Amino acid sequence: MGIILELKDLTKAYDTYAVVDHLNLQVNEGELRCLIGPNGAGKTTTMDLITGRQKTTGGQVIFDGRNITGLKEHMIVRRGIGRKFQVPAVFKDLTVRENLEVAFNRNPDPFANMLMMFRRTDKARFDEIVDLIGLGERLGERAGYLSHGETQWLEIGMVLTQNPRLLLMDEPTAGMTEQETHKTSQIFNRLRGSHTLVVVEHDMTFVREIADVISVLHMGKLLAQGTMAEVENDPKVREVYLGAEGISDAT
Amino acid sequence: MNRTGGNLYHNSTAQWLAYIALFGLLAIIPVVGAEPFQLRTFAGYAVFAMLAVSVSMVWGFGGILSLGQGIPYGLAAYCMGATMQMQFQTPDEPIPSFMLTNELEELPGVWKPFWHTHIGLILALGVPTLIMTVFGILMFQARLAGAFVAIMTLAMLNAFYSMAQDLQPFTAGFNGISPPNAFKAFGVEVDPYSPMMYWLALGVLAVVTFASKYMLQSKFGTIVQASRDDAERVRFLGYSVAYYQVVVFVFGGLIASLAGIVWVMIQQYVSPTALETPFSIYMVVWAAVGGRHSLFGAIVAAIVLNYLQTELADISETWQKAWLLILGGIFVAVVLLLPRGLAGAFEYLIGWIPFGGRSAKPAARPEAG
Ligand SMILES: Nc1ncnc2c1ncn2[C@@H]1O[C@H](COP(=O)(O)OP(=O)(O)OP(=O)(O)O)[C@@H](O)[C@H]1O
Ligand SMILES: [Mg+2]
Repeated sequence: MGIILELKDLTKAYDTYAVVDHLNLQVNEGELRCLIGPNGAGKTTTMDLITGRQKTTGGQVIFDGRNITGLKEHMIVRRGIGRKFQVPAVFKDLTVRENLEVAFNRNPDPFANMLMMFRRTDKARFDEIVDLIGLGERLGERAGYLSHGETQWLEIGMVLTQNPRLLLMDEPTAGMTEQETHKTSQIFNRLRGSHTLVVVEHDMTFVREIADVISVLHMGKLLAQGTMAEVENDPKVREVYLGAEGISDAT
Repeated sequence: MNRTGGNLYHNSTAQWLAYIALFGLLAIIPVVGAEPFQLRTFAGYAVFAMLAVSVSMVWGFGGILSLGQGIPYGLAAYCMGATMQMQFQTPDEPIPSFMLTNELEELPGVWKPFWHTHIGLILALGVPTLIMTVFGILMFQARLAGAFVAIMTLAMLNAFYSMAQDLQPFTAGFNGISPPNAFKAFGVEVDPYSPMMYWLALGVLAVVTFASKYMLQSKFGTIVQASRDDAERVRFLGYSVAYYQVVVFVFGGLIASLAGIVWVMIQQYVSPTALETPFSIYMVVWAAVGGRHSLFGAIVAAIVLNYLQTELADISETWQKAWLLILGGIFVAVVLLLPRGLAGAFEYLIGWIPFGGRSAKPAARPEAG
C-alpha cells in the first residue's frame, strides 16, 4: 500500500513562534490515523495547511505523489481531500437532503449547474451514506434544527458524499454524548479500509476504538507514533501530554 | 413550526400559480381602464419591481449586500438615453443640442456607436455587464464580504455619480439627457403612455422573475444559497465560491440594466439621479420589506411602497416630505419585527393551513407522514 499523504518539514510560524514546526508525517492509503496532542499542539493548523486554508511558512504537502502546497482550497478538494471542521459547518437554511446534494459535486461549473434542475445525486451512494449517518428520517428537515450530534453526522455525510481519497476529520465527536460517540466510532469502523482517514481526537475511548496508528503532536512537532499500546507507554508522551497519570484518563 | 414540509407556501404548484395570478392581475390593468398617465406610472412600478428582484437575487439569495445596484441601472440608462438621443439626430445635425452648448464641434467617439439602435442596446446590456464582472472578480477573489462589499459598491456608485455629473459635454451633467422622441424599433414607436409600453415593462419583469425563479430552483441556486450560509464549507466541497458570487452578482446587474433601459423608454429622460446613493438604498429597502428571500415579496413591496409614495405625494407636499420618514419607519419595523419581511410573515401564517402536498423543492418534501 502506497503513501497517500506526506508532510515534509511542514512549518507554520507566527512571527518567530512556530505552531507547526518542521513536521514530517506519512499516511498510507487505506489507513485510519489518529492525530492526538494537547490543546494548542497544532493539530487544526496542520489540517489547515494540508487543505490550503492557511498559507505555509515552509515545507511541502505531497498528496498522491504531487506537491499541492499553495493551491487554493477548492482545487485541493478537487484533488480528493475532504475536510470536516472542528466547529461543525453545515448549511443551516437548507434541508438535510439539500446539504447532501450540494456536497455531491459532479461538476463545479456554475453554468452547468444552472441546467441541473433535478439535483440528482448518485442514488445508490446517496442511500448508502444516508444509511451510514442514520439521518434517513430527517432528510426534509432544515439542518439548523438538527441536534449537535446529528449536525456532526451530517457534515461527515457531506464529506463522504464528495467521495474523497483522503478524509480529514477534526474532532468529529466533540460535544457528543456517550451513545453518539459510540455510533460515530461504528461509522468510522465501517469506513475503514475503503477510505483513508486522518482523525484528530481528544476522546481516548474513541481513539482506542478506531485507531490503527496514532501520531502524537506536541508544540508543532511529532512527538511519538505507534499503536495505542506503544504510545501509551511512551515516557515522553506520558510526560508532556498527561503528567504522570497516563493517557487513558485524558478526556 | 420547524418543518419545511407540509406548508402550502413551499408548494411548487402553488408558487407558480401565485406568480401567474400576480402577473395576470397586473396585465389586465390597461384593459379594465386606466388613464394614460396612470399607465405610465404603473409601468414605472414594474421597473422598481425589477430592481427589487435584482437586490433579492444578489443580497437575499447570494448574501452579497450590494448598495451599488444603481451602477448597472444607471449605466444602462445612460446608454439607452444616448441611443434614443441619436435616433433623433440626423446626418445633417449629428450633434445633440446639449453638446453644442458645451461647445463640442464634433460628435465624441464614445457617442458614435449609438447611431445604431441595435449597437446601442447591446452596449446598454454589455457595458454594465462588463463593469460588474470586473468589479465582482476584484471583490470576490479578495473574499470581501458583508459591510466591506456594501462600502465598496457604495463608493463605486458614487464614483459613477460624479462622472455623470462632471463629464458634462458627454452626459449633459446635472441636467441629464432628454431624448425628444419615444423609442423606436422595428418601425414601431413605443409611446410611453400606451398599453404597449406598460405590457412591455411588465413582460420584462415577468421574464426576469421567472428566469430568477428558475435559477434558484436549479442546483446553481442551491449552491449560491449555501455560500450565503457558509462560504468556507462550500469552498471545501470543491466549488469556487468567488466564481459563483461573480455570476450571481452579474446576473443581478443584468436585471438592473434591463430596468434602466425600460425606465428611460418610459421617462425619455436620464440624469445622475439614477446613480444617486438614496435610490440604490431604496431598492434594498423594498426587497427587505417584501422579504429578501422571496422574489414575490420583493415585487409586491416595490409596487405597493411606490404606489403609496405616489398617492401620498398627490395629497399634499407635507405628505410628500413625510414619505421618507414613513418609509424609514416601515423599514425599521420590518427589520425588528419581521426579519424575513412580509413574505416571511405570510409563510408563517399560511403554515397554519393544514396541507399535506408536495413541497416546492424536492428536498423539502415531508419525509415521515
Ligand atoms: N492567528 C494566530 N496568531 C498566533 N497564534 C495562533 C494563531 N492561530 C492559532 N495560533 C496558535 O497556534 C497554536 C495551534 O493551534 P491549533 O488550533 O492548531 O491547535 P490544536 O492542536 O488544534 O488545539 P485544540 O486541541 O485546542 O483544537 C495555538 O497555540 C494557537 O494559540
Ligand atoms: Mg483544533
